[in-house]
Amino acid sequence: VRFLRQVAAVLAVVTVVVLIGLAWHHFAPGSFGDQGGPGPHRFVRGQAATAVHRGVKVTPGVELNRGGPSGVPPIQLGDLLEPVNLAVLWNTAWIEAAVIAAVVIVDAGFRKRRRARRGRKPPLRDGASCSTPQR
Amino acid sequence: VPVVSPSVPARTRLDFWFDAVILVGYTVAYSYGFTGVVIHEWLGIALGIALLLHITLHWDWVVRTTRRLLRPRGPDKLIWLVNLALLFAMTLCVASGILISRVALPELRISLPLDDPFWDRVHTLTAEVTLGLVPVHVALRWRWIAGVGRRTFARRLR
Repeated sequence: VRFLRQVAAVLAVVTVVVLIGLAWHHFAPGSFGDQGGPGPHRFVRGQAATAVHRGVKVTPGVELNRGGPSGVPPIQLGDLLEPVNLAVLWNTAWIEAAVIAAVVIVDAGFRKRRRARRGRKPPLRDGASCSTPQR
Repeated sequence: VPVVSPSVPARTRLDFWFDAVILVGYTVAYSYGFTGVVIHEWLGIALGIALLLHITLHWDWVVRTTRRLLRPRGPDKLIWLVNLALLFAMTLCVASGILISRVALPELRISLPLDDPFWDRVHTLTAEVTLGLVPVHVALRWRWIAGVGRRTFARRLR
């Protein structure tokens, strides 16, 4: 029962976010302007790319599958391991790894400084056994 | 059969592996050029469901941390803000992805008469935002990940 209540709460939160998105679309549909094409449609070999936006360079050797009547090419699992496609996956993984490394380094630095600050006690006077004022 | 450390509670192990699967799934799904449209869409829908489960599993943390936000030195404020931004970006990314679906929705015999570039752009924008936020979300928990990972793999390697 508790789990179901939590699922309901999460669904409510997600619904609110979706409603905010719909409101955004309703009240400010032109907020992106008319520039730029949708989606990262430029990489793929043999699978997703059915068109290339003007100005986008296609690497030599990359073929675009125009697909069938629906415009959606069939799944060709072998294509996933093509170097040109794998490069996209590595690129994503590298970006994630770089951001993770940067945050971990910064966080570790902050923690180290905080620990050092906590460890540094105020200088004690001669004979004083603690930092609280003696009467 | 690998022996799992008894010192890692089952729930912690579930969180660890489930989150790892979500991270890998997200990385693959983001790499549209790697997967192609069919895998991208189905994986995106699966990720949407997985994310609902992920938030549900951590709902106690959400409630607890939200209550503590008003305290002057709440320890998890930054994490809470990153998670909130990620919730918005990821939800809008999955929702807009569903709205612009070319394969998965027709396969499910659902047709949305949408031909609006707005959702394409929302999908691209939110996807790029998530690529920045997901690693931050992971990295802010690096001590937990390192701790659980060390305990889990140390016992397995013995």
